[in-house]
Amino acid sequence: MASRAFVAPAKPIFRASLRSSPSNGLDAFIPQLRKMVFEYCETWPTSANMRTYILNHLEDVARQNPHCEIVVKNRPHGEPIVRGFYLNTRDKVIGLKDYEVNGIQKKVELLLDSSGAKIRPLKGSRVVESTTEAARGIWSGMHVDAPFKI
Amino acid sequence: MGHAQKRLYSTAAKLAIAPSYIRPFPPKESFKSSPPFDPEVWAALQPPAKSAFFAFAHRIGLGTILTSEKTIQQACVHPSFLQFHQQYYPKEPLPASNGQLALMGNSLMGLFASEYLHASYPHLPLRVLKAAVSAHVGPLTCASVAQEMGAIPLLRWRRQPGTPTRPAVMHTDALSSIPRAITALIYQERSLPAARKFVHSFFLSREADLRTMIKFSNPKKALMDTVAKFKREKPKSRLLKETGRFSNSPIFVVGIYSGPDQLGEGFGSSLRMAEYRAAEDALHRVYLTRTPTHLLQLPSSTFPSERGDVFKDGPEGEYVASPIGEAEVRYASSGRSHIDEDKDDRHEDEWSDEDI
Repeated sequence: MASRAFVAPAKPIFRASLRSSPSNGLDAFIPQLRKMVFEYCETWPTSANMRTYILNHLEDVARQNPHCEIVVKNRPHGEPIVRGFYLNTRDKVIGLKDYEVNGIQKKVELLLDSSGAKIRPLKGSRVVESTTEAARGIWSGMHVDAPFKI
Repeated sequence: MGHAQKRLYSTAAKLAIAPSYIRPFPPKESFKSSPPFDPEVWAALQPPAKSAFFAFAHRIGLGTILTSEKTIQQACVHPSFLQFHQQYYPKEPLPASNGQLALMGNSLMGLFASEYLHASYPHLPLRVLKAAVSAHVGPLTCASVAQEMGAIPLLRWRRQPGTPTRPAVMHTDALSSIPRAITALIYQERSLPAARKFVHSFFLSREADLRTMIKFSNPKKALMDTVAKFKREKPKSRLLKETGRFSNSPIFVVGIYSGPDQLGEGFGSSLRMAEYRAAEDALHRVYLTRTPTHLLQLPSSTFPSERGDVFKDGPEGEYVASPIGEAEVRYASSGRSHIDEDKDDRHEDEWSDEDI
């Protein structure tokens, strides 16, 4: 090549502004639920199942999930609820008025398993979510044995 | 109820404060008109609940290591908080801060990241290695990890503007001190291998793209010098595939060969761009070669995992140093690059092209 190509100086990279992207679960897993608040009424019958649950099952749940703070709060003349606070600053509130004790158990498990992310439709634009392009590579018309000839 | 009291209740409800663990509520200062009472300042001075600290320790898998609430609390207090605390509660003892712990933890994290990245990428140029270490354990990543761990409600700090003698303290600076302090705490409570395991799980398993950090202002020249250093044939670029040469959207695929071996391949809408990308691809393949994880040898594996004598043998046994990678080519070093110069069969800046 006779002419020399123009070479622009490389842009400086400021090291203090570099960062890595998260990968929760790849090596260490951080459970996303940080606190659960159980609110119930002392007198009303709608909170009866909730009171039973708090007396019988809540301590076991707390022992099995030491990453989660558990708060029991009085809600006088109100319906029982459980409020879950997550690390992404969102919270989920579940009303437990019409549930039996094992129903309350299921809802507590729901809160424990959730990530706190907003529930969005699974299909449509969110069909594939990945940080890498493709495992087998993107197809290229230049890298086949017999490229298409017009 | 006055305006100050109402704001007090709403602010307290938003933060991780449990009324059973704080000073008498409502505070006496809120009833006095002078000095004027600020509920946000009051809320920032209160310690988080004990249960929050223990939950945090369990969340990051250190429930058995960080057993004392005092140590976890110490890890979450930034030194900028001390003066603030002294100003409002002069009679109370100052809380312990994480300044020294963060300093030690920062050094430890730098050590673990450097040895891991150097062992994983033996041919990486020095500046890129430094950038990679910053990407993996630098201030922004530490702040990010602290946020993902849920340390934001536990952090106690105070925003400070920069002075001529001291840099400014922003939220990221204060947050980044928490994972560093935790690393130092693990080193104190257990051993160096335990602290290394923590840093590997939380920091070195994260994704940082190194290809964006390797930039060459002249990849063709750099490749020429690299190939000469490895005593291979001069690189030749060959056009492999092309389409649409005189249209408005041509595509050229160029490969760079040293003898029969292909070093790199690149595409582009012009021949020069394709060649440029091919040279960059070839250089990436050299400098980003990665050691497989099962063959990784880290110098810190020589440290023992029990407390006591540091000079005892480590659990991994005898450390065998991996061969030092090829040093980077300093192509803009005005003749000081120490590459063999055979002036007989090699001319500077000559690139051999075929079929273009």
